[in-house]
Amino acid sequence: MNTPYGFKQYVKEIYTGSKSLLIGMRVTFQHLFKPIVTVQYPRQKPVMTPHFRGHIEAIMFDDNKSHHCVACGLCARTCPSHVIKVQGEKTKASDKKYGKKYFIDFTKCSLCGLCVDVCPEKTLKFSNEYELAFLSRWDGVIDIMQRLEESK
Amino acid sequence: MNMTQLPIIKDIYGFLGPDMMAGVVGLLLVLMFVPLNSAFLVYVERKVAGHIQLRPGPMEVGPHGILQSLIDAVKLMCKEMITPDAADKPLFWLAPCIAVIPAIVCFVVIPFSSVMQIREMNVGILLIFAFSSISGLSLLMAGWASNNKYSLIAAVRAVAQSIAYEIPLLLSAMSVILMSNSFKMSEIVAAQSPYFWNVMVQPVAAVIFIICSTAETNRAPFDLVEAESELVSGFHTEYTGMRDALFFMAEYTAMFIASSMAVVLFFGGWHGPFFSGIFWFVLKAYLLVFVTVWIRWTFPRLRFDQLMNFAWKVLIPIALVNLLVTAIFIKVF
Repeated sequence: MNTPYGFKQYVKEIYTGSKSLLIGMRVTFQHLFKPIVTVQYPRQKPVMTPHFRGHIEAIMFDDNKSHHCVACGLCARTCPSHVIKVQGEKTKASDKKYGKKYFIDFTKCSLCGLCVDVCPEKTLKFSNEYELAFLSRWDGVIDIMQRLEESK
Repeated sequence: MNMTQLPIIKDIYGFLGPDMMAGVVGLLLVLMFVPLNSAFLVYVERKVAGHIQLRPGPMEVGPHGILQSLIDAVKLMCKEMITPDAADKPLFWLAPCIAVIPAIVCFVVIPFSSVMQIREMNVGILLIFAFSSISGLSLLMAGWASNNKYSLIAAVRAVAQSIAYEIPLLLSAMSVILMSNSFKMSEIVAAQSPYFWNVMVQPVAAVIFIICSTAETNRAPFDLVEAESELVSGFHTEYTGMRDALFFMAEYTAMFIASSMAVVLFFGGWHGPFFSGIFWFVLKAYLLVFVTVWIRWTFPRLRFDQLMNFAWKVLIPIALVNLLVTAIFIKVF
C-alpha cells in the first residue's frame, strides 16, 4: 500500500470493520428464525409449473373419454431421434384409424417437442413427470397408452 | 513399622483418598462427556448451519435428526483406516492421539461449579494454555506424516497461525489475571459476583479472547488450516475413519474448552442470577459455542496475509494497550 496509513485511518478501519461484522451477524441471526425454503423431497413433492417438459403424454378429451390419436405416424416420422413407435387399428374398413399402441424410448428423447407441434389432432402434450430415475434401460421406454389408461 | 514412616504412609493414603477418587470419577465423567459433547456439537453445528441457510439440516435419523451424529460415529468406526504408503507411519498413527489427549487433559482444571473441579491447581490457566497449544504440534505431525503437499501447507499454516494468535490470547487473559490476582480458575470465578462479571470491565479483552480462541481452535473464519477450497481438507486429507473422527473430536472439545475458558475469565463462571452452580456454567459455555458456530456460518474465510495482519497489526496492539491500561488502573486505584 502506497497511500499514507495514518493512525486515524487505522482506527476508522477497525471501527467500520467491526460494525460491518456485527451487521453480518445480525443478518444471519435473523435468518436462523426464518422458515426454511427447501423442499424435503421424498416427504414433500414439489408442484411442477404447467410449462415443465417431461416426456410426452396423450391428452384425455372429454368427448370420447380418451385420446384423439389417429396413428398417422407424423410424430414418429418427424422425431429426430426416432424414439416414437405408434400403431393404430381400424375396427372396420370404413372407420377412422385409431391409435392403439404408443411407445416412446425416453432415454434417447431430446425433448425438442416436434412431435407435440406436428400432431394434427393436438392430442400430445408434455407431462409433468419429473421422477425420471430408472433402474434399467427398458424402464425408460414409456407406454403412453397405458399411462392414459392409468390416469382415467 | 516404626513411627518415622507414618507421615509417608499418610501421604500415600492421602493421595489415594479423596483426591484419587475425584481424579478417577472425574476422568471417567470427562471421558464420557467428550465424545457425547462432540456428537452434540456436530449436530448443533449442522442444525445452525442449515437454519442460517434456510434449510432444515439433518432430519432423517430420529426426531429432527437428533441421532444423526451417533449414526455418523458408528459409520466412522466401521470404516477402514487407510495409511498411505508414503506416510511416516508412527507419526501418522500418533498425530490423532496427540490431538485428542490434550483436549481431555484440559478438563482437569475447569471449575464447573464451586465443588465440581477435578483438581485445583494454582496454575490452572497456564495448564490449559500449555496443553491446548500442543494441538499445534499434532497438526504439524499430521501434516508432515501424511506426505501430502496440501497437508504440509496446512500444517505450516497451523503453526504460523497458532503462534500469531497465542500472543493476544495470553495478553487478553493476562488483563483478567491482573485484576483477580490469581492463576487459579476457581479464584478468578470467585472474584466475580453473580451480577458483575469481568466482561463489564474488560469488554475489549473479552472480544479479543473470543476472536483468538476461535483462531486457536482453527474455526472459520480462521480455518485456513483446513481451507476446503484450496487445501482439499488440510492436515486431515489423508485420514480416514476413526482417526479423522478423533481430529473432529479434538476440534469440538477444544471449542468447548475455549468457551469454558471465556466463561471462567469473563462471564462469571458458575455465578448467575438467582442461584449459582453448574447449570449457569454449562449454559454460558454452550451459548459461547453457539456464538462461534454462528460466526462460522456468517463470515467468509480470511486470506493468509489478512489473517497475519489482523493478528499482528490489530489484535496484539489493542491487547497490549488494554493490558497497559488495566495495569495502570490497578496500580493507581
